[in-house]
Amino acid sequence: MSEHISSATYNALVDGELSAGELAVAKEHLDGCAMCTSRALEHALLKTATAKVGQRYDVPQELEQRMRLLASQQVFHSSTKKSGSAASSSSGMWRPAFAGWAVAATLLVSAGGLGLMELNNRRAETASMQSASLVAEVADQHIATLANTLPPQVISSDRHTVKPWFQGKIPFSFNLPEALPAGTTLDGADLAYVHGRPAAQLLYSIGKHRVSIFLEERTSGAKLPTVTAEHSGYHVVGFTSGDLDGVAISDVDPAKLNELVRTVAGAQVGR
Amino acid sequence: MTLLPWKRMEREAEAQPSGFEELAMPLLPALYNVAMWLTRNASDAEDLVQETFLKSLRGFAGFEQGTNFKAWIFRILRNTYLTSRSGLAAQRTVALEDEMDAGGGALHPESAIDHQTPELNLLRLADKAALTSAMEKLPSPLLEVVLLCDVEEMKYKEIAAVLEVPMGTVMSRIARARAQMRRLLEEGQRQSKGFSA
Repeated sequence: MSEHISSATYNALVDGELSAGELAVAKEHLDGCAMCTSRALEHALLKTATAKVGQRYDVPQELEQRMRLLASQQVFHSSTKKSGSAASSSSGMWRPAFAGWAVAATLLVSAGGLGLMELNNRRAETASMQSASLVAEVADQHIATLANTLPPQVISSDRHTVKPWFQGKIPFSFNLPEALPAGTTLDGADLAYVHGRPAAQLLYSIGKHRVSIFLEERTSGAKLPTVTAEHSGYHVVGFTSGDLDGVAISDVDPAKLNELVRTVAGAQVGR
Repeated sequence: MTLLPWKRMEREAEAQPSGFEELAMPLLPALYNVAMWLTRNASDAEDLVQETFLKSLRGFAGFEQGTNFKAWIFRILRNTYLTSRSGLAAQRTVALEDEMDAGGGALHPESAIDHQTPELNLLRLADKAALTSAMEKLPSPLLEVVLLCDVEEMKYKEIAAVLEVPMGTVMSRIARARAQMRRLLEEGQRQSKGFSA
């Protein structure tokens, strides 16, 4: 091999991506070329040094605890089911002594109480994390919409154009209010996904402030948490109406946002 | 048979953890480290990791056991980052022209080839601060390949699955990232020589 090793080969060499044949050819050249050996060494050193420097941040303990709690939800639910079935199977073991029953009952009540407390705590933590996650997701989508140079998927201030556009795109229907608060206009809408489920993203303007209202069908499995929060300077208001969940977000005055939310929520009644 | 790119049938025979907690918790330090590098902000990194956990927990039923969980969850992290505020900001500030290789063109443009003398950089490689500074200056598409390849020790195929790009693009980005790091190290070295002279 007379030609020097290419930059691509150096990278593949230090990354362990060369085939056996390619590696043999490279080694043969390196054995006789001091310059390429030096360069290969430098590539290897850069990779090693980068790997060391790249391992820079440690997980905060509090985050680790939260993620462990979150990750254990799946395990917890299955383990509660298992312990429940174990308890029911052991109930067949009859013990005549009354004291034994009393102790068992006390233990059962205590364990049940503790279990319930733990379950409630975990549910509260999970609900809180889900709300935070929803707020972050909705804020990201709203900001992405503001940043987007493309127009909405349906552009119209006419509710009779926007509503039918969603036919066949989302598994539910909704109403758009006939009359909007003063200074508020409908700009259009987008098909969005919130928590992986289809949602209608209604786009309004209040003055020069843009508003996104996400409407989603409530299901028995998961529902959008009702939230009222601030996120990166945006106001986030959750609401429910009929069989729909909604979340509105904007940087407009909260009173004006609430007025629009009440109008949109009111339009869903008696659908 | 699945066509999922992160599938690794050969490892199926080994006893592997199957619960979400068992699979995800060991990757938390790596996910947080990458999230911190990408967002450069502790609060955003925590949000990103939490969002990744929630999304992957929700989608875990669809994850095929025995396939590459690490590539799967890193892909969720990366997609979540791209739609986040910091991700959108990074995308708007970076003009990346490396897609030129997607159509089968030259994998390694001239700019990615290192023409420097090795001696120049060997000294700087020991300088942790200089390396950190060089990494911090990389645009996010180049930084993420460096993190996945060098720090997470992923194979090109896995990185391609995480980034949802062809392997040629991964190789091109790695070449360009390393070339840029060398240039930055060299500039830093020249500057420090200038100051000391």
